[in-house]
Amino acid sequence: MAERGGFGRGFGGRGDGEGGRGGRGRGGGRGDRRGGRRGNKSEEEKWVPVTKLGRLVKSGNITSLEQIYLHSLPVKEHQIVDALTKDLKDEVMKITPVQKQTRAGQRTRFKAFVVVGDGNGHVGLGVKCAKEVATAIRGAIILAKLSVIPVRRGYWGNKIGLPHTVPCKVTGKCGSVTVRMVPAPRGAGIVAARVPKKVLQFAGIEDVFTSSRGSTKILGNFVKATFDCLMKTYGFLTPDFWMETRFSNSPYQQYTDLLSKQATKAILPPTEEIPPVEV
Amino acid sequence: MGEVILGMPGQWAHDYREKADHYTSKIGGLPDWPDLDIPVSGKLLLCDLCGGKLCLMAQIYAPLSMAERSIDERVIYVLGCMKKDCGSNPQSWRVLRLQRCKQDIESKDEPLKAEQPEEESTSVAEDKPTSQSSSVKVCDDEDSDSDIDLDDLAQALEQAATLASNSKKQDGTKHTRKIVEGPVAKKLIYDLTTPVLPCFYIYSQRNSSEGRMDKANFVGGSSISLKEIEKSSGNESEGESWEGEAYEYDKALGADRTYLKFKKQLDAYPEQCFRYSYGGNALFPVANVPKPGACKICGSARRFELQLMPPLLYFLQEASDDSSNFSIDGWTWLTIIIFTCPKNCCSGTCDEKSGNSCRCIVEEEAIVIQDD
Repeated sequence: MAERGGFGRGFGGRGDGEGGRGGRGRGGGRGDRRGGRRGNKSEEEKWVPVTKLGRLVKSGNITSLEQIYLHSLPVKEHQIVDALTKDLKDEVMKITPVQKQTRAGQRTRFKAFVVVGDGNGHVGLGVKCAKEVATAIRGAIILAKLSVIPVRRGYWGNKIGLPHTVPCKVTGKCGSVTVRMVPAPRGAGIVAARVPKKVLQFAGIEDVFTSSRGSTKILGNFVKATFDCLMKTYGFLTPDFWMETRFSNSPYQQYTDLLSKQATKAILPPTEEIPPVEV
Repeated sequence: MGEVILGMPGQWAHDYREKADHYTSKIGGLPDWPDLDIPVSGKLLLCDLCGGKLCLMAQIYAPLSMAERSIDERVIYVLGCMKKDCGSNPQSWRVLRLQRCKQDIESKDEPLKAEQPEEESTSVAEDKPTSQSSSVKVCDDEDSDSDIDLDDLAQALEQAATLASNSKKQDGTKHTRKIVEGPVAKKLIYDLTTPVLPCFYIYSQRNSSEGRMDKANFVGGSSISLKEIEKSSGNESEGESWEGEAYEYDKALGADRTYLKFKKQLDAYPEQCFRYSYGGNALFPVANVPKPGACKICGSARRFELQLMPPLLYFLQEASDDSSNFSIDGWTWLTIIIFTCPKNCCSGTCDEKSGNSCRCIVEEEAIVIQDD
């Protein structure tokens, strides 16, 4: 190209001059939270939010994932999930090579399946293909965190103690594999194959009977079908949900309205504990 | 095609209304108009929707060097409206490209002496360094002068650095004034009617290759190690196998593939405020983006020049917590992509003026992509 954008050229000398002086501590006037913004090598630890939801989470206006689920807001930054959940564990289920035939031979990439969960009603599944194993695992963890969903648990019979099983019979499907989960009494444990058992453990379900159909040999589809089944637990309308919903303001409207910052709490209705139906 | 240059956040301005020169790239504050033959018309500074005054979002000094000519004095101003309803409407944004058409070294001094609009009278003092080296030394002698206080010494030094990179040689004797006025502290523009965003300066950085991204993507220590993977893969038994897998594009519940690519570029440099790539490709966070229109003057299709990125909103929001005059919360854009005329055409009849350079302001196009 004969033309060249000169933004960097026109600016380089000047910018370095000003940038170099930035670290002199001149800007301590208005609060030190802005002082150390530049020149940090610890950018991995410092999260600069990109979406509006991220900004709300970073500023502490949103305190739990349930507020996000209530309004079905898409989570686009994995740091949001990190900030809102405690002790989220992750595990690689499988790394498998995936090959593509090219003229120069075969090109192998690695596909990583990662499941994350806190063992108490939140679980996420991530799948990522990459040329290197480490990159695939990292990417899959991030995708899993982006896909964290709430899992509804209920009782088999007596409502004693905490919920321990799925609230009703639900079924999920992916490809040809369908997985059906049936409530089980306490002490039954997770009656499932090895692979979906892991997902259910991360979800925090203690007892369940499962039944699967289709080509479960394709374990990728099998695990996705289990995940889909868990997504549907909150989508099932049970008599508990028959009461009319009192709608509340989405966090976007709540915190955008200048008036609401100064107004009394009367504008904000009480938060509901019941997350909405699936996305 | 073009490489991408990132605008990284630099120092905060000491006062949001302080004046810099039009060679500075900054975010927020008040726009620094260079000496103009005709001052910027009021209509261009008003919002299309509500009629209120627009505030400066970004001022970027973007000179060009092309085969036929080089335009050294080219500045792009991005103006936006801060009212709640206008913020989310793309029509309230305005991008102005201001450039000097002809390179004229001698005549630069003349406009400085000419009549200036009220606002810019204070800038005259700053645009005239007596000489580059002496201005720095002079600072130290004038401690007791009422115009300079100790606090502004550093500012003055920075100002001198800015002016020092102005390559045009100034004739010192012509503009001799009291030395004290040369490196004076940044004056404030007392224009209290225009809304003003928190102001900080920008330094540029090249977008380096992917070595950065791996580092940035790693999120503080997962519980997985490669050894564990090899162990677990050895547990294959009972006829289970993970066969039949094919390549799969990235997908998450709330984010699609295009957005994940956008986020990946952002994660490499999480503090980038804008991306500049003259004639290059924009980074789209969504798949369907409306195409830019054609330039109103020459009719050629506009080309991508730069795009503003979301960390900018975050920094502005952080700074605006103190005062509640304006609502940045009304802005929910993911990126603002700015397209400019590829021929850098100029309105008016500036070719006919001889010996005198003319500046012109052309309105360019901005596409706002919302974060829904």
